[in-house]
Amino acid sequence: MKRGLFQSTAVTLIFWLCMSALTLLPVWWMFLVSVKSRADLFGKPSFLVDTAKMTWANYAEVLSNPSFQKYMINSLIIATSNAVLVSVLALLAAYAMSRFRLVGRDNIFFWVLTNRMAPPAVFLLPLFLMFTAVKIGDWSLFDSRIGLILLYCVFNLPFAFWLLQGIVDAIPKELDEAAYVDGASTFTVLRTVIFPLARPGLAVTGILTWVFAWNEYLFASTLTSVEARTITTGLAEFVTVTGTNWGQLAAVAMLTLAPAALVLALVQRHIVAGLTFGAVKG
Amino acid sequence: MRNSTTGWLLIAPTLFILFITGFVPFIYVLVVSFFDWNTFAQNPEPTFTGADNFRELVFDKAFLKSIWLTLKFTAFVLISQLVIGLFLARMLLRNVPLKGLFRTIHTLPLMIAPIAVGATWRLLTVPGLGPIPHYLKSWFGIDYILSRFPDQAFATVVIMDIWHWTPLVTLTLMAGLSNLPEEPLEQARIDGASEWRIFWDITLAFLKPVLLTTIFIRLMDALRTVDEVWMLTGGGPGAETRFIGLHIWRVVFPKTDYGYGSAMSLITLYLTIVMCWLLYVAMTGMKENKA
Amino acid sequence: MLKFMLATSAIALALGAPARADFWSDAGAKYQGVTIRGVSESTPPSNYVKDVLAPQFTEKTGIVVEFETTSWDQMFDKAIKDMEANSGIYDFVYIEQDIIYSYLARDFLVDITQTLKDNPDLQAPDFKFEEFTTFIDNFRGENGNIFGVPMEAFIKVYLYRKDLFEDPAHIEAFKAKYGYDLAPATTFQQWRDNAEYFANLSQDDELWGTTVQASSGHPAAFYEFFESIAPTYGVYDWGIDGTTYAASVDKGGRMNSPEAKEALKFWVGLLEFAPPEATASTWDEVASTFAAGRAAQGWVYGENAAWIATNPEKSTVVGKVGVALPPMVEGVMEAAEKGEGYIGYYDGGAFGIPHSSKNKEAAVLWLEFIGQASVQADWAVAGSRVVHQATYDDPKVQEVNAKADGYFDLMRDKGYLFKGAPEYPFHAQVREVVAPFIYEAIVGTMTPEDALDAAAAAADAELIKLGYAKE
Repeated sequence: MKRGLFQSTAVTLIFWLCMSALTLLPVWWMFLVSVKSRADLFGKPSFLVDTAKMTWANYAEVLSNPSFQKYMINSLIIATSNAVLVSVLALLAAYAMSRFRLVGRDNIFFWVLTNRMAPPAVFLLPLFLMFTAVKIGDWSLFDSRIGLILLYCVFNLPFAFWLLQGIVDAIPKELDEAAYVDGASTFTVLRTVIFPLARPGLAVTGILTWVFAWNEYLFASTLTSVEARTITTGLAEFVTVTGTNWGQLAAVAMLTLAPAALVLALVQRHIVAGLTFGAVKG
Repeated sequence: MRNSTTGWLLIAPTLFILFITGFVPFIYVLVVSFFDWNTFAQNPEPTFTGADNFRELVFDKAFLKSIWLTLKFTAFVLISQLVIGLFLARMLLRNVPLKGLFRTIHTLPLMIAPIAVGATWRLLTVPGLGPIPHYLKSWFGIDYILSRFPDQAFATVVIMDIWHWTPLVTLTLMAGLSNLPEEPLEQARIDGASEWRIFWDITLAFLKPVLLTTIFIRLMDALRTVDEVWMLTGGGPGAETRFIGLHIWRVVFPKTDYGYGSAMSLITLYLTIVMCWLLYVAMTGMKENKA
Repeated sequence: MLKFMLATSAIALALGAPARADFWSDAGAKYQGVTIRGVSESTPPSNYVKDVLAPQFTEKTGIVVEFETTSWDQMFDKAIKDMEANSGIYDFVYIEQDIIYSYLARDFLVDITQTLKDNPDLQAPDFKFEEFTTFIDNFRGENGNIFGVPMEAFIKVYLYRKDLFEDPAHIEAFKAKYGYDLAPATTFQQWRDNAEYFANLSQDDELWGTTVQASSGHPAAFYEFFESIAPTYGVYDWGIDGTTYAASVDKGGRMNSPEAKEALKFWVGLLEFAPPEATASTWDEVASTFAAGRAAQGWVYGENAAWIATNPEKSTVVGKVGVALPPMVEGVMEAAEKGEGYIGYYDGGAFGIPHSSKNKEAAVLWLEFIGQASVQADWAVAGSRVVHQATYDDPKVQEVNAKADGYFDLMRDKGYLFKGAPEYPFHAQVREVVAPFIYEAIVGTMTPEDALDAAAAAADAELIKLGYAKE
């Protein structure tokens, strides 16, 4: 195959180096702000770290703040539980859609998707009323982690469902038919045939839903108050604090980003393989 | 096809959860939209007013402007992201050293919370603190003040969204590109077709279902953009970046105009669903043609 | 007999004194382990409550205080939703002076005077309504009872850079250019001249003429215009008539009166001399701008005056801050002296108890705790807020006062000339329809005149829709 100059490795490499720099620039700037003291914030901007004036005080302050620690733990629990719940439910649902004759199949599918379409502000009021109304003794759905874990299904389930349907569709039917013939139950088939084969897809589903849940802001800010607050709501709290505390805001943003970036670095290889949404038949 | 009872049992938990978190609130919004209800009005109780809210909406300039802005925003980001995403996807599929690293870096913005994305861009654009206004001024003499110039604010919001969401487009298109059948491409090359023709006639044609799916996903999400814009511009200057999600939030929350806000929500939801439905029909139609 | 009396009084003293000093642990005994929850805006005074007063209270009474400090928008959102849904999440909420009428109209709040009357054993010895400044009157219901215990109060003052205004070089140059002496502004023309002079000193420096709280997407702009600027032009209470609730001139309001238009023109005109962040500034950014030394003068919320003037960790203008009354047109001062008008914004807030609270008694104890005379002075130093008359004379407060160019004295002596928001139950609703037009005037897509005409029309329409005004 002939290769022009534009297609040469060197050009591609240079292109990606520039592209990466461009992508990282905003994040780098955020980092710079997070290591500046409040008095040094204004003035001539520079993209270099001023090592003499660099300070970790913003991080120290944020990390030693007990409510920040609580927010971080809440976010971890909520995002992880939601991702697991959503992946499992969506796998079951996707399997049902793929292998069973369900009346109104396409309509069900589309209805599931519509749940992701509503602007989130639309549902805030009824959800708030519902959440505050559900009480068992002293426990209330409002300001509980369980509440958010369930609620995040509204935008994550449709997404996961769609993604996994493509994955399950791509698994040859003959494989599970063979297992049924051997007398396996539906559960066994799911466990021994579908689950192992759908694993890359499940991984992507889990990661993306985890990220969506980790990143959600509007619901969390409305439906929690103290106990179940998440890290994104903590971030917003720094915005209108007296004399907007840019340094700490940036520090929190960096800390919010860190776990997601870590997860990404670990799994980036698998992401592409799983992101087909059923549009590609292998 | 197997016994459908088991199928229904498998899908039941999903439908049940979505019924509670999605359908019940929807019914509530539907009912409230037929009432005039502002808890800080002289009469704080809901009053049934039939379709008055909907009638009023048709002439509500702020609402119509917000819808128009949202559509404009969606069109801008969708087209840019598809073009850039497709280009980057092809670039990423090339064999270069450090490919994995580049891919990770490129995907990074996708992992950042929208609210943090807004914060990041605010830090870049705050006058006196951010580098963008500083360098635009000292290199090009351009006064860049988001809160004063509507066009700049809109453009910045679009660029921010491109930065944030192009990676998702790139990734899905990469999945599509790497699954392209080899034979037609080889055949075309043997026939001496130009690279451009091959791309246009073969690659894009095979990619169409993936493209439509990607558009669908981005369309759903772009129409409901709130967090990052709220953080960056607060909907300003004036109402120039007050997209529909943000507009509804302001009507329902600070203004507590529940009835009217609900009607607004319904219309918005309806418009979104119609748009997505058209795409969906196109998508499923294509699948069946293929099958 | 005498001996006996001495003995009994000694016993009484021995018994009485510790019992009284220990009122908190006695009163708290019944509520041991109870957790009360509150929400407030994250401001210096609130953070002091969270970090200092709440732990003290818990130590003395055994009642746990969970206090959420968040952004202003969220705080309202959550407090109102809680009270509306009657969900009982919060046992005390921050009530800003300007929103209390909305809350009272909806009967959200517990009558504190009545509760103390009904439960005399809850009355703390060191808590007296009479010790508060007149600011507490903002939180009285129609029956004169108290519905909120003031926790912060301040005035929005004119802040200027003393070092610049007293610099001989500037004095000379200013005189040469404008023909009169450089001084803190007492007229609007002078404000503009000052702003122009300092803004045009050099194109490269990071100094501008004035702050303007003119965020083009946040209600802060609405507030600065209607609560600080319009009154100094003689347009009070947002230009809405207090009895007919009419806004436009045709209907008897003053929102689009010539004075109001003049005021908006002046205010928007200042943007030319303001730092570029002015159109993105809420009260917080205004304080930051001033603290970063980027403006020579401006209207700044008093809650920020103390840290700007005294805290070198956050402010670059420590020791360079001057405080004065804002300029105003003729007749406004006379009207304010007579109580018929006001010259600026007196803001602040209180903690109140929602009816939905399940721990009302414990919450009352808590409110009394923060309302005691003994906790006021340190709190005033931390957050430049004063709600007790006696706080002004405290040596610690006087010390800060000296560093902040007499801010506290000004508030004590001239505070009566300032006023909070009008007593409207439709505060947020009218703000939401009017504010967009103020944004338009800031951005320049509408002239100040057109913006106010449109704003008045929109306010009238909303007030009719809400049922307060007649067609």
